[in-house]
Amino acid sequence: MENLIISGTESTPEINFNHSSGIFEIRGESYPENTAAFYAPVYEWLNNYFAQATGKSVTLNVEIIYFNSSSSKALMNLFDLLSEVGSKGNAISVNWIYDEDNESGLEYGEEFKEDVGKLEFNLVVKNS
Amino acid sequence: MKVEDFFNYQEDLVDSGVFLTFSGVLTHDFMLKLGDMLKTKMALQNVDKNLMLKVFSLMIEQSQNIIFYSSEKLAIPSLENEEMGIGTVAVGFKDDHYFVFCGNHIANPKVGQLSAKLEAIQKMSPEELKQHYKEQRRLEPDTDSKGAGLGFIEMARKSSQPIEFAFRKIDDNQSYFTLKTII
Repeated sequence: MENLIISGTESTPEINFNHSSGIFEIRGESYPENTAAFYAPVYEWLNNYFAQATGKSVTLNVEIIYFNSSSSKALMNLFDLLSEVGSKGNAISVNWIYDEDNESGLEYGEEFKEDVGKLEFNLVVKNS
Repeated sequence: MKVEDFFNYQEDLVDSGVFLTFSGVLTHDFMLKLGDMLKTKMALQNVDKNLMLKVFSLMIEQSQNIIFYSSEKLAIPSLENEEMGIGTVAVGFKDDHYFVFCGNHIANPKVGQLSAKLEAIQKMSPEELKQHYKEQRRLEPDTDSKGAGLGFIEMARKSSQPIEFAFRKIDDNQSYFTLKTII
């Protein structure tokens, strides 16, 4: 299986999902022209990945400085997807990485955490 | 407009505190340029990062609203694969607060529904806005929504005062919609 690598742009995050290490990263900013179209290949790759094997251990690092409202929905869908595969026997953890001096980074992380159910969701502060 | 009138137009903008404005065909790429300019200007003035991010975020949400929902479009062959809409966006600073205006055409049959949605948001407390935001994030968006149906709630959450909006009827088919957020 190929890794999922999408280069970042000014308004779309860099995606780097490594299938062998199980380390998945999303970094940058997210306010795409077409949010649904941008995230569709990400969900597709994940569905294929988890369909191939269960019991996988996966860490998703999310470090997004700014995301717009439609990306908020896209991220919620992503966490829901992980929550679902997590309940099927995969060990999943999400690290929500935020900048120490970015108040909304922490606030939005907390709001996702409240809504992700049993998914392990860590708020990780990054010292700037 | 006479050439002298342009002085008044310019003076009105300065008096109202507007320091960045665009009116015309707005595309995603153009919005990125406006966003860059806004961030550069605020960084030069040493504006607090959190405040800068809020103003930037409102400018983006309101610009994307024009791009996705303005009922006024132009058929430009070179832009046929891009989302675009005609409208006006303005960012300013007055009485110790930043503000963002946006305006665009809307089809008359849609005015009632949008107006009701915005009135409901206007009345919500920060905690109610948060709950509404979270509920909406779990729902499938309206069929004519190109985003997540969260934009206006997000705008209200990032504002320090209730959002303001108005509709003015242009003719039997169209109205002009304006929205103001104060950060």
